[in-house]
Amino acid sequence: MITNRRGFIAIGGGALATLSLPLSLAKPLRAQPVEVIEMRGTARGERVWFRPYGLSVAPGTTIRFVNRDAGNGHTATAYHPDNFDRSSRIPDVAEAWDSGFLLPDESFDVTLTAPGVYDYYCLPHEMAAMVGRIVVGQPEDAGWQGPSADTEDVSPEVLAALPPVADILAQGRIGPEGA
Amino acid sequence: MIKSLLTGASIFAASVTLAAAHDTEALMQSPPGDPYVQVSDVLPLPAFIPGLGTLFVDPATLPAGPFLAYDHDGQLSATVYMTPLAELENGTSYDGLTVGSHTVATVDIYYNAGHPGVEVPHAHVVLYHDAEAKERLAQ
Repeated sequence: MITNRRGFIAIGGGALATLSLPLSLAKPLRAQPVEVIEMRGTARGERVWFRPYGLSVAPGTTIRFVNRDAGNGHTATAYHPDNFDRSSRIPDVAEAWDSGFLLPDESFDVTLTAPGVYDYYCLPHEMAAMVGRIVVGQPEDAGWQGPSADTEDVSPEVLAALPPVADILAQGRIGPEGA
Repeated sequence: MIKSLLTGASIFAASVTLAAAHDTEALMQSPPGDPYVQVSDVLPLPAFIPGLGTLFVDPATLPAGPFLAYDHDGQLSATVYMTPLAELENGTSYDGLTVGSHTVATVDIYYNAGHPGVEVPHAHVVLYHDAEAKERLAQ
């Protein structure tokens, strides 16, 4: 369950299912790991990016998007029909998320539970290929859903900016160092 | 006759100059008033953007502007234009744009990948109105 500083609330499909279970069947609540993805940009806005833009996490990990760009507004928006009628690029059983615009130092959390590949973008910066990919779990996990095969709804620049799943799994995180 | 025409033209030119000077005088201190709106009031951007300051724009002039850039003390420090590169390539020209002040110390031109309000790649053309303006707008 998540909120950002402006009160957005999102929740993963699996977590929602857990909440609907009878209390006796629900697992005890435990602290879940949190991974931070920063929204970054150069001082004059020549370049913008997520850091890391490729990330491998375990199911149930909370992703915290934080705007670290002092001069720009950013979003973290899942490719999904619920968000501006885009083609889905997240697992079918997962819920879409959209952080809304985050001003500098604002953040937004989303917990991802369904195994598979999640692609997302920054609403005002998709043309600049400010996109990212999160891999939840491993391909051998039950219910795993690999990356979208769609090439029509996104630009070649966006497709080229999304790291291969194998690279993300091998490296854990991919992103400009020191930026 | 010729002398008369020249005199008339001179008076007209002087009147235009005085009118323009009067108009820009009203813009020197924030807020500039109608039809300008503060950019951060209508778009998800910081109230003070490092490098550009506090921006005001007449929405009717988007995307090019002029954007009036004020420092922390509300002093007009720069006039900024934002021109989409694709539009320029397609033959669009942005002519006759007004300026916030007729005094220009230096000009910077640089690329911007996009931001709320002008979400396509574009150029920022920044006219600084005094020698210290860039420093005042930096942070």
